Amino acid sequence: MNLNLQWTWFHRLGSPRWFYQKTQRWLPWLSFIMLSLLVAGLVWGLAYAPPDAKQGNSFRIIYVHVPASVVALAGYYLMAIAGAVGLIWRIKLSYMLMRSAAPIGAALTFIALVTGAIWGKPTWGAYWVWDARITSMLILLFLYIGVMALRHTYSSHEAADKASAILGLVGMVNVPIIYKSVDWWQTLHQPATIKFTGAPSMHPDMFMPLVVMIVGFYAFYAVSLILFTRAEILRREYRASWVKQLVTDKLAEK
Amino acid sequence: MYFDSLQQLIFMDGHGVYVWSAFIISIVVMVGLMVKPLCQKKQEFKNIQLHIKLQQVNQAATQKEALDASHS
Repeated sequence: MNLNLQWTWFHRLGSPRWFYQKTQRWLPWLSFIMLSLLVAGLVWGLAYAPPDAKQGNSFRIIYVHVPASVVALAGYYLMAIAGAVGLIWRIKLSYMLMRSAAPIGAALTFIALVTGAIWGKPTWGAYWVWDARITSMLILLFLYIGVMALRHTYSSHEAADKASAILGLVGMVNVPIIYKSVDWWQTLHQPATIKFTGAPSMHPDMFMPLVVMIVGFYAFYAVSLILFTRAEILRREYRASWVKQLVTDKLAEK
Repeated sequence: MYFDSLQQLIFMDGHGVYVWSAFIISIVVMVGLMVKPLCQKKQEFKNIQLHIKLQQVNQAATQKEALDASHS
C-alpha cells in the first residue's frame, strides 16, 4: 500500500499536464529569486570585490565563467539522467526535459568557453590552448550539440529520443574527466577554486559573490529549463484535450 | 565600491575590455535562453489554434457530407 502511494507521486510527477500547471505557479517566484541573485552577484563581483593580486581586474570574469561551467556540467548529469529515466520507465516528461536541457547546456558551455578564452588573453597571452580542461569542455559542447542534432535525424519522436538518451548516457563519461582534468594532467588551466572537500582557495570577499552567482545561475537554469519544457509539452501534446482547452481559454481571454 | 569613479569601473586598469565583453556576451546568450522558449510557446499556441480550427472545419465538412448523403 505504502509502495503504491510512492509510485503515485512518481507518475504524477511524470505527467506533462501536472508539470505545466505547477510550473505556472513556480515561475514568478523562481524568476524573482533568479533576478535578485544575478543582479546582486553581478554588482558585487564587478564593482565591490577586490582585484586579484596576480591577475588584477581580469579575474572578475570568474563571476560568469565558473557559474556557467558548474551549471553546464551539472546540467549534463540532469540531461543524461532524464534520458535514462525515459529509457527505463518510458516517461514522456523526462524525454521532454532531456530535449529542453540540451540547448541550455550547450549555451552555458559556450559561455564557459568564450569567457574562458577572453580571460586567457590577458592571463596566458592566448585566447585558446589545447589544454585538457578546455578540450574536454569543447567535447562537452559537441555532446550537447549531438543530443540536439539527433532530434532531426529520425522521423519519429520516440526513436530520436532513445538515440539522444543513449548518446547522453555514453557522453557522461566525459563529465568526471572534465572535473579531474586539472589534477590528472599538467594543464595551463588553474586548479579548481571550489572543492567539495576543503576550504576554497579564495578570500571570502571574492568568494561570496561567486557563491551568489553560482546559486543565481542554478536559478536561471531552472527557469530556462521550465520555459523550454513548457514549449516542448505544447509541441508534443497538442492533441491532448487539456492543451486544446488551454488554448481555447486563452483565445476567449483575448 | 572598490573603484573610485565610473570611468575606473569601465576601464578596470586596462582589463575592462576583457571583463565587460565576457559579461555582455554572457548576458546576451542568457537573455536568448529566456526569449527563445517564450517565442516557441507563442508559436505553439498559434499552431494549436490552427489545428483546432482545421479540426472544426473538417468536422463540419463530414457532417455536411453525411447530411447530403442522407438526403440523396
